[in-house]
Amino acid sequence: MDFLSKIIELFSTEKYMDSIWEGLKLTLTISILAALLGLVLGVIVALVGMAKDSWAMKLPKLLCKIYITIIRGTPMALQLFIMAYVIFAIRGFPLVITATIAFGVNSGAYVAENIRAGILSVDIGQTEAGRALGLTGATTMAKIVIPQAIKNVIPAIGNELIALIKETSIVSMIGMYDLTMAAKIIGSGNNMASYIVPMAVVALFYLAIVYLLTFGIKLIEKRLRAGDKR
Amino acid sequence: MISVKNIYKDFGKLRVLDGVSCDIKDGERVVIIGPSGSGKSTMLRCMNLLEEPTYGEVWIENDLLTAPDPYLHFDVIRKSKTYSSLMKSAKAAAPGKSEEELDTEIIAKIKKEDLLKRFEGGEYSKALSEINKESRIDINLARRNMGMVFQHFNLFNNMTVLQNLTLAPLELKLKTKEEAEKTAMELLARIGLEDKANEYPSRLSGGQKQRVAIVRALAMNPKVMLFDEPTSALDPEMVGEVLELMKDLANEGMTMVVVTHEMGFAREVADRVIFMCEGKIAEEGTPDEIFSNPQNPRTKQFLDSIL
Ligand SMILES: Nc1ncnc2c1ncn2[C@@H]1O[C@H](COP(=O)(O)OP(=O)(O)OP(=O)(O)O)[C@@H](O)[C@H]1O
Ligand SMILES: [Mg+2]
Repeated sequence: MDFLSKIIELFSTEKYMDSIWEGLKLTLTISILAALLGLVLGVIVALVGMAKDSWAMKLPKLLCKIYITIIRGTPMALQLFIMAYVIFAIRGFPLVITATIAFGVNSGAYVAENIRAGILSVDIGQTEAGRALGLTGATTMAKIVIPQAIKNVIPAIGNELIALIKETSIVSMIGMYDLTMAAKIIGSGNNMASYIVPMAVVALFYLAIVYLLTFGIKLIEKRLRAGDKR
Repeated sequence: MISVKNIYKDFGKLRVLDGVSCDIKDGERVVIIGPSGSGKSTMLRCMNLLEEPTYGEVWIENDLLTAPDPYLHFDVIRKSKTYSSLMKSAKAAAPGKSEEELDTEIIAKIKKEDLLKRFEGGEYSKALSEINKESRIDINLARRNMGMVFQHFNLFNNMTVLQNLTLAPLELKLKTKEEAEKTAMELLARIGLEDKANEYPSRLSGGQKQRVAIVRALAMNPKVMLFDEPTSALDPEMVGEVLELMKDLANEGMTMVVVTHEMGFAREVADRVIFMCEGKIAEEGTPDEIFSNPQNPRTKQFLDSIL
């Protein structure tokens, strides 16, 4: 019954609950802002990466390739450290922005790859048929390719969002007070002197967020599929 | 109608079209045959620029689809620095020869050895951009007049049959929604598939898909129809219905270029049969000439192998 009383203690102690809410707020803030940044970056990088080879696009395409290679080839924690201690190592620079940029830039590379894979999964014949009718490349993309690609892209991007939210837990490594950090502090010797309960509670919070997100994605997927009964 | 002028197509190091020229006349039905990999599809796809020829030009009536190819314009070659320097040294080397003689020799040499460089000076560039300005047409405009039918149908999977037929006329603002749908329903009636108007392509049989793909192209009122092995992906019992529709089109006087292995269709419908081999037109003639009395041993060998 010790466990139960500890749970009651956690939920009834204002100080602990404040910690959790504060941590939750930070986790959500970083996640949402980084997801938006990642989406925008991902779309741009995917478009540049898939643009037709031409003289003017050579450098941008190369940069996009390097970006994706570096981001996917190095650990997230290291990327976060580089942002915090090298690129934005400016006294007083808000850590939230540092973290948002670090996770957004990271997420962008994965989103770009998801979009690229989704578009490539649409048979090239669809594009050719559109172009052969005299439609422009942009119209063909918008009316034929993207509507078909989206069915593959949405679940992949959903998974990326879920990974992103969980991964934000490493911001505690640069001293930020997120949900994971809250659990650690509440469980420390000065407070509850037991980790199991705060960790379990925080785990439930993560689970709840991920569950809600999964549910939302499933809903969108269903809508998309209902759009063309196949 | 379509004029293909000395086109070459390289995929990396592989030369797939090796100097092909042909003229498709108004109302003509041309069937292209040849072994696998001989460049038939590539040639057809060059006609509407789904593939861009590496050299050479494609014309639709008086409109140039490709970039102008300097090697096809002697007056442009004459404006190049390469030409004038060759002319100068040739004159010095053989003072006796007439200017015309030298001109012919030098142009032949430049063409044969691919001597023109990217930057050949102001007059030369001006001449090329002059051709561009006068004759070049936006490829998307040109394609409106050229229907294409693919081996694998390529119906838009995210749209109903009706939407497949109305998408291009609507997007290109050629028709109102009512007009486009009326035309589409008439075309579907023609192939007996009005009742499938609101189905998605996945619900159609192969033969139905291909017939829808044909009328989708017709919905744009094209002047010419290009077919790339329209029956090769079909189960045998569905080949007939597609060929019937194509014969109907031919009887209505549609200009058609058809890549096919259906020799019966070629015999019955074609005004001219082109036999392609290793990226070249090895032989062409009436169906009778090609099928009954082939001159080129490669043609004979090919026909023997498939009949
Ligand atoms: N996009 C491409 N990239 C590289 N090689 C290509 C490409 N398209 C075609 N080829 C090559 O060009 C050659 C000619 O191809 P093409 O499709 O024109 O032949 P085909 O005569 O239509 O043959 P088939 O009867 O098999 O359709 C083949 O060797 C093919 O592998
Ligand atoms: Mg082919």
